[in-house]
Amino acid sequence: MALPGRPPACDLCGQDAVFLDRVRGCHLCGDHFLRDMEGRVRHTLWEYRLLRPGERIAVALSGGKDSTVLLHLLRKFLPVPGTVTLTAITVDEGIAGYRDATQRVAREMAARLGVEHRIVSFSDLAGSTLDAMVAAGGEHPCTLCGVHRRKALQETAMALGATAVATGHNLNDEAQTVVMNCLRGDLHGFTRSPVRCSAPSPRFASRIPVREPADGGLRRIKPLFRIPEKEVALYGMLTGIFHDLPECPYAGTALRSEARRMVDRLEYLRPGTLGRIVRGQEELATLCRGIPEKPGKDGDPRGRPSTVT
Amino acid sequence: MKIRLQDGTARTYDGGAARVWEVLLALDENPAGVIVSRNGRVIPEDTVLGRDDEIRVIRVSHGG
Repeated sequence: MALPGRPPACDLCGQDAVFLDRVRGCHLCGDHFLRDMEGRVRHTLWEYRLLRPGERIAVALSGGKDSTVLLHLLRKFLPVPGTVTLTAITVDEGIAGYRDATQRVAREMAARLGVEHRIVSFSDLAGSTLDAMVAAGGEHPCTLCGVHRRKALQETAMALGATAVATGHNLNDEAQTVVMNCLRGDLHGFTRSPVRCSAPSPRFASRIPVREPADGGLRRIKPLFRIPEKEVALYGMLTGIFHDLPECPYAGTALRSEARRMVDRLEYLRPGTLGRIVRGQEELATLCRGIPEKPGKDGDPRGRPSTVT
Repeated sequence: MKIRLQDGTARTYDGGAARVWEVLLALDENPAGVIVSRNGRVIPEDTVLGRDDEIRVIRVSHGG
């Protein structure tokens, strides 16, 4: 074993590394890590043509690390200032002791980046907080939250004239969703593309599943869907926008928590597992192109954006 | 070696010099789900720690 002391050196410049990429087998210093991750996100935006001139993009901004990093990167990558407009939307579910802190971060982040910001609440839209809905019994908190949050995002984005909703889902989220769909036996979910785009870059058109929103409504875009959660967090820490926030009190009992533990463990034991799960699902979605979408739980087609991260 | 966790508690590792990932596994933490810093600087999980080092462990996996 090496002697205790300095961390390993960056493979590109020899400075102290901050990150070991176990999939590619290399060390990166802070500067090279930031450049590398920004390059990968920029490539996803280009490959799927996620930002289009003249559009208004509604960015789901919970204030957590993923959505904060997403807003920061989208603001940074706007093709030409003014050609794409960003509006951040924060949904206040009404979860005591949790949402106040993240909402404060969301407000500060939007102001810092000069992005228009709207806050909408379950109380205003559904007449009740999530805490009150849970107390009344019935559905699992995450199911209730997901349905109302999608609705809040969709309605607010459409009222603002947005054509797409960007969410901060990362590679771990996507891999967890694939595993959850398997566990539920949800074939439609399993064959659904992780990214919706109507016109992928011609170079990739043959292998990227093309999915327009079923109701002709909002596109859902996930620019971070190829970035592991740890790297999103590291990016946030290195750029000074990471905040140590409380965890949602309802998260522990969700199926997603089980899926998270499963895929995180597999990723550690077999680096690259997350990427393989999502790539496999993308290929399957391509093969299953043309299968009609199943209506969502609330009866609407699956054109609605998923939950905020 | 002293390990500071996110919830404000501290643990100790008495196994002598060790790589970050070895310390994390001893604490039952998945190295793929945490970021570790030493003296305020983030370090990769294969950094060798000395017995007098103090590290901070930040869990990155959250949500519902």
